[in-house]
Amino acid sequence: MSYEDWMVRILFVLVLPFIGIFLGLLYKGFDRKITAMMQARIGPPIRQPFRDVKKLFMKENIVPDHAVPWIFNAAPFFALLAPLVALVYLPLGPFEPVMEGYGDLILLLYLLAIPAVAMAVGGLASGSPYATVGAQRELVLMMSYEFPLAIAAVTIAWKYESFSLATISSTPIWGQVGAMGAFGLFLIVIGLFAVLPGELSKVPFDQAEAETELGGGLFVEYSGRNLGVFYLSEAVKMVVVGTLLIALLFPHNLSQWYSFGGPEFAGYVVLNVVADVLFFLLKLLIIIFVGVSVVRVAVARFQIDKASYFYWVPMTLLGLLGTVLVVLEGAI
Amino acid sequence: MSDKDTTYQVPIGPIHPALKEPFMINFRLDGETIVDAEAHPGMNHRGIEFMGMHRNPLKVIPLSERICGICSIVHQHMFTTAVEHAAGIEPTNRARYIRTIMAELERIHSHVLWAGVAAHEIGFDTHLHFTWKVREKVMDLLEYIAGNRVNYSMWTIGGVRRDITEKMYPKVNETLDYYESLYKKLEEIFLGDPSIRLRTKDIGILTEEEALRLCGVGPTVRASGVKKDVRIDQPYAAYGDLDLDYVIPSRYGYENTGDVFSKTLVRLKELVQSIDLIRQCVDQMPEGDIDSEPKKAVLLNKLKKADGEGIGRIEAPRGEAFHYARLKEGQEELDCWKIRASTYNNLTTYAPMFMGEQIADIPIIAACIDPCIGCMDRAEIVEINSGERYSYTHEELHVLSVEKTKKILEGSL
Amino acid sequence: MPTSTIYTLIKQLLTKKATNPFPVKYTPNNMHAAASLIESGDLTINPPVELPPDFRGKLSYDVDACIGCQLCLKVCPAEALVFKSEERKVKHYVSRCTFCAQCANICPKDCFEMTEEFLIAGLDKYSDDMILNP
Repeated sequence: MSYEDWMVRILFVLVLPFIGIFLGLLYKGFDRKITAMMQARIGPPIRQPFRDVKKLFMKENIVPDHAVPWIFNAAPFFALLAPLVALVYLPLGPFEPVMEGYGDLILLLYLLAIPAVAMAVGGLASGSPYATVGAQRELVLMMSYEFPLAIAAVTIAWKYESFSLATISSTPIWGQVGAMGAFGLFLIVIGLFAVLPGELSKVPFDQAEAETELGGGLFVEYSGRNLGVFYLSEAVKMVVVGTLLIALLFPHNLSQWYSFGGPEFAGYVVLNVVADVLFFLLKLLIIIFVGVSVVRVAVARFQIDKASYFYWVPMTLLGLLGTVLVVLEGAI
Repeated sequence: MSDKDTTYQVPIGPIHPALKEPFMINFRLDGETIVDAEAHPGMNHRGIEFMGMHRNPLKVIPLSERICGICSIVHQHMFTTAVEHAAGIEPTNRARYIRTIMAELERIHSHVLWAGVAAHEIGFDTHLHFTWKVREKVMDLLEYIAGNRVNYSMWTIGGVRRDITEKMYPKVNETLDYYESLYKKLEEIFLGDPSIRLRTKDIGILTEEEALRLCGVGPTVRASGVKKDVRIDQPYAAYGDLDLDYVIPSRYGYENTGDVFSKTLVRLKELVQSIDLIRQCVDQMPEGDIDSEPKKAVLLNKLKKADGEGIGRIEAPRGEAFHYARLKEGQEELDCWKIRASTYNNLTTYAPMFMGEQIADIPIIAACIDPCIGCMDRAEIVEINSGERYSYTHEELHVLSVEKTKKILEGSL
Repeated sequence: MPTSTIYTLIKQLLTKKATNPFPVKYTPNNMHAAASLIESGDLTINPPVELPPDFRGKLSYDVDACIGCQLCLKVCPAEALVFKSEERKVKHYVSRCTFCAQCANICPKDCFEMTEEFLIAGLDKYSDDMILNP
């Protein structure tokens, strides 16, 4: 790899976290506004999450007497760092991932598990009974949704015979399967969309926070800067999970079907890249709308045992059925 | 596994999102399962009865409204009934009907509000917003009739202060039609939605025997199949003239299980019943005055001369509630005023309902009796010197009441 | 699946919102600055909902008609009325009023009337417009 290549990569690694945080907060704003509109409310302005973060960072950071201070303070940063690192391995719209290797997908799955673990550790370290219950629930939930997620990832990787996201996102998977495989993939899409609210701790899978039950659960003792960092972590995680879904299943670019202007036009390349980026942002918005906003206004919070059952039995079976269909088609 | 005690304690309250008012329940949990629950009331004592005993009855009416924000009609209704009973004043016939209409409108508003709170407790905020949006309609009607949205100031001793005239009927009918058409949707949401059914079916079961033993009141016990309704058992206002029946689940082809689902069902069906009752009232509304003593100065004199005690016992949206008032001759202020709100009875039903359920069910079970701590907290015992809170045990209370009875018998009180 | 719920929700995305935008749609950053802007007329507020008939707002008091019979003091639950013995008139603290209108009912000379004014919040409860007949 050339010297320039490395410089560009370092530059991207430095810039990406800011882009990730910005996009995360922006989509959080969209999510809140859309949710409010669906409930016939006016809702907060789109920039409300930015204000929230600003305010949280201005507030006093309180560490409770019963807490283990260093774990309590470190947990939010681990929760934020993991999705930011994950961002580096993800293809954002028309751009190739900044870093790539042989086991990207597996690394990503682990990076996505870190925030949940960090939240649970932080909750346990805060020494409040509510946070302890919340931490237990978060771990149970994590163990439940990881399985359908892993099944989906493995199936797609099997089809490509590669765990590299760059390979997977270079060609959309839908073109490589027949009718039976497409149906199998459809089941896997359902499974992935079911994982989305669990991964992002949104209703119906927000048992770990459960405002009316535990009064904030994991975050009950967090305040000020620490809570702000958790807030950012949640926002970035939303972008990361959405982008992962796009990379696995819908890596289409607008320029595949239609290109603006011809080679004779000077800004031709730039224009197409901008169009692709906008198309990517639109895809992300649709995924967040369908997977998060609509779901969280249309159902009630589950009890923890029922949530766990939902992932372990129906969703796992659905995923396995999808896998079998995809694999069978490949074998025929 | 060792036989070590694996339970731990989680206090819910006095300030907690599951509770809308200060109140505390101490839970002993084993994992996610509740093994013991202990309620500690007394955080919302405002000394209202004491304040009432330093004012004349007319001043107490607006005060009684403010015992509770949701059932403000209930408390002024009970208070005025108690004072009328004590002073021997009869409300006019038309006033009885207007009182009934207002009380039923408030029942609609209270039940719709409760449905929203219940939806919020199970994490379904969409229906919280939906029900509170549709509740505005009945609030508008109450405002149209009474002049204000929450504290209506409608009641006076001997009648009501505002009439429901012919001119108002179209608006009343329009609102009733609106709720009639809405009922189907509410039923579809609260009885049909799968995720709500998952959270309410077989949760917080109160058996008929427990309901009777613990003296629960209102929709809480009617859901278990107990036929208990003051409006039928001891009619007041205009209920004696109206056609109504006990709302219990078995009347509508459901089982009297007493779980949260049947409590929701009973409240929704009472909504329909209330609409029906208001229609009957509007049809049979008698002509005449709305107030038996429009000259308030004369009334105050009459009350000053009155001597005696009276009770007001009505069916609030939450169940039977009760006011006791005593007037003394030559004394303007109330001699005694005692309030017993429905939540006081229903609180005891928590114990069997919580046992064996999960943490996740705490909010919805806590909400299913529609608790109103502001109504309930009438006394708190605090050690003056140390500021320590104290509660009497059953035995101590027994000893105290035996002593008091002795004193009364001896005539020394 | 709660399909009908989802259908309703998507429909509500496009219909009119139930939130009452009175007085402004979004809370301003600086309340006091916004309040003074409204006072000077530089900022228009959304109109409030229509008032019901016989709404009970701020009390108005006809000082000349008052005969000083003190009946209103007997029924005021909040003790917002205070008798001025040298003048033989009453003084009304708006901040204490509970808007029950019992004084207006009992007054033999009808010198009390409930106006439709309800935007009466202020910073100083002893200012001139918060006390009638100071």
